[in-house]
Amino acid sequence: MSEGRNDRGFSKDELETLACVLDHLVPASEDGKLPGAGRVGVAAVVDEALHRMPEVRGMVAQGLSALEALAGRRSSRAFATLPRDQQAELLNELAASEHAFPPILLLHVYNGYYQQGPVLEALGLEPRPPHPLGYEMKPNDLRMLDRVRRRGRLYRDC
Amino acid sequence: MSTEPVDVLIVGAGASGAALAWSLAETRMSILCLEQGGWMDPAGYPGMKGHGEASQLGEFAFSPNARGRREDYPVNDGGSPIAVSMFNAVGGSTILYAAHFPRFHPSDFRARSLDGVADDWPVDYRRLEPYYDVNARMMGVSGLAGDPAYPPKEVPLPPVALGKLGETLAGGFDRLGWHWWPSDSAITTQEYEGRAPCINAGTCLSGCAQGAKASTDITYWPPAIRQGVKLETHCRVREVTVDANGMADGVVYYDAQGVERRQKAHVVVLACNGIGTPRLLLNSRSRHFPDGLANRSGLVGKNLMFHPYAMVTGIFPEPLEGYKGPTGCCIWSHEFYETDLARGFVRGYSFEMLRGFGPVSTALWGMGWGRIPSGVDHHRAYAELFDRTAGIAAICEDLPEAGNCVTLDGDLTDADGIPAPKITYRLSENSEKMLEHSVARATEVLEAAGATDVLVQSPLPFAGWHLMGTARMGTDPERSVVNEWGRCHDVKNLFIVDGSIFVTAAAVNPTNTIQALALYIADTMKKNLANLFD
Repeated sequence: MSEGRNDRGFSKDELETLACVLDHLVPASEDGKLPGAGRVGVAAVVDEALHRMPEVRGMVAQGLSALEALAGRRSSRAFATLPRDQQAELLNELAASEHAFPPILLLHVYNGYYQQGPVLEALGLEPRPPHPLGYEMKPNDLRMLDRVRRRGRLYRDC
Repeated sequence: MSTEPVDVLIVGAGASGAALAWSLAETRMSILCLEQGGWMDPAGYPGMKGHGEASQLGEFAFSPNARGRREDYPVNDGGSPIAVSMFNAVGGSTILYAAHFPRFHPSDFRARSLDGVADDWPVDYRRLEPYYDVNARMMGVSGLAGDPAYPPKEVPLPPVALGKLGETLAGGFDRLGWHWWPSDSAITTQEYEGRAPCINAGTCLSGCAQGAKASTDITYWPPAIRQGVKLETHCRVREVTVDANGMADGVVYYDAQGVERRQKAHVVVLACNGIGTPRLLLNSRSRHFPDGLANRSGLVGKNLMFHPYAMVTGIFPEPLEGYKGPTGCCIWSHEFYETDLARGFVRGYSFEMLRGFGPVSTALWGMGWGRIPSGVDHHRAYAELFDRTAGIAAICEDLPEAGNCVTLDGDLTDADGIPAPKITYRLSENSEKMLEHSVARATEVLEAAGATDVLVQSPLPFAGWHLMGTARMGTDPERSVVNEWGRCHDVKNLFIVDGSIFVTAAAVNPTNTIQALALYIADTMKKNLANLFD
């Protein structure tokens, strides 16, 4: 499990397991328009985000390790190679254990997922930052304020 | 930096320090501003790189505790239901504010006379009116003249786009017969004084890369510097020092390398916000002022006021294009602003309509509300919220109470070893009742606008954006820290120009009034230069 690990991030094996976990946290949509979080590269975003939070990183790494241990005991196979329904069972088992992933992991998953180009396009948005193009908005008809104008003064003059 | 004394030393380059520096510049006095933060690079704002929403979890977080930049100082606000928000840079908190830019009402300066609570201000709306007008021109305020909630006022630029979201909410107010009006916003809606117009990017709260939002690094500071004001960054002031006569004679500060420096000055002006200013005064102890500088009244740090916020979010059946447009500027309502004791509380609140959430914020807020789970139901739940939310923020007037205060923490310090501020704060019964009333009315208007579901957060826990009252102004030295033009009663060459000097909080965002007061104080200083210390 520790092969390829460096001080700054998850190992290649950990990232592979994490991507598989993320596909359960945010799976592909039923119509296939929205990809799963693991497939769209969110594991790397989470890895980057956790550089600032070594304690959280450690908890996630423990969870990944425990997940592989469960998979090994159940079938002598790596978690990522198991059928999806078996993966889901093991994730449920992990969630009930002391090695459950910390809730803040989901925050970073959502944060990473909803910045991915394919996700934004599937939501009907342009896959670009807001600047420098911004968004067009049509001017409003301010005659709709006529009723408010007719009410007269609201403030206390003093 | 020269060790020669300067005529005027300003501490803090945010909303008020910038306005004062610009106004005083025409005197040709030697003016120096020390700012603990640096210049921001708009090209590095989050909206240029991604959607920018996620930056509020890290380097652009509202809370200095979460942000943790070197120029930030920690705030012990663990005992308060409202956490402190601020930013430290040239421009101060205007870098991250929404630029919602209302004026106070005339009645806000007369709370004691009109409603029998708190105190009257030693200045009134008419006194500040010309300075509001100057500030509107300098900051580039957009809006629509004719709002019946205010006396007639100058608005240089047309209002920001309301969009489908604004029109939808306005419809709710119309159905109930309640007041609404396009918000005054410190956001350019046309080319203005070299600034480009707003492009509706919706990134106001993490810095405006367009330069349409009026942060003082792009409004007041460039002309002030062109006129000769010096601005030194990454200089954190530890204390204001006094001479043998108890007059301020300069400051001790740490430079960017953490080296202790001394700067002498004939006049010192504090512009460090309602937390930073009492922190600095309380840390400036001497033989003359053993309880902190200018604190013979014992009121430095007392009467801290936030605005308790309620946020009520409506969920609508149709898309609202709410991710477009200035985040916190759309329309406002002052229907419940003036006192009506039949409501069960004194004074009042305003409503500020908020745009909807972007893609990341939708997920994170939905998660916080328990509305967007992970797993197989995720996309269905997300689709019910994305682009279908509109928020109403209720900004409630906080009344001054001596028990709500800023003191120095006994253990916590910043990177230079200066004691951190500690916040002691509780919500009053009046505020609780006001919040409850505002939530009910906001729910009513959202439902009238077509919302099918409503989510409530009250009080909003991270909404300590408005920091006021901790060195209040007044004519009686026993009951106030500064006089009617910002000069400390106890130290006649020490001035305060930030939100600390507010007597009451009103029920709207304070930045416009902070700056109008700073301009008024600067003008009064200029008129009294010959006998400034008499």
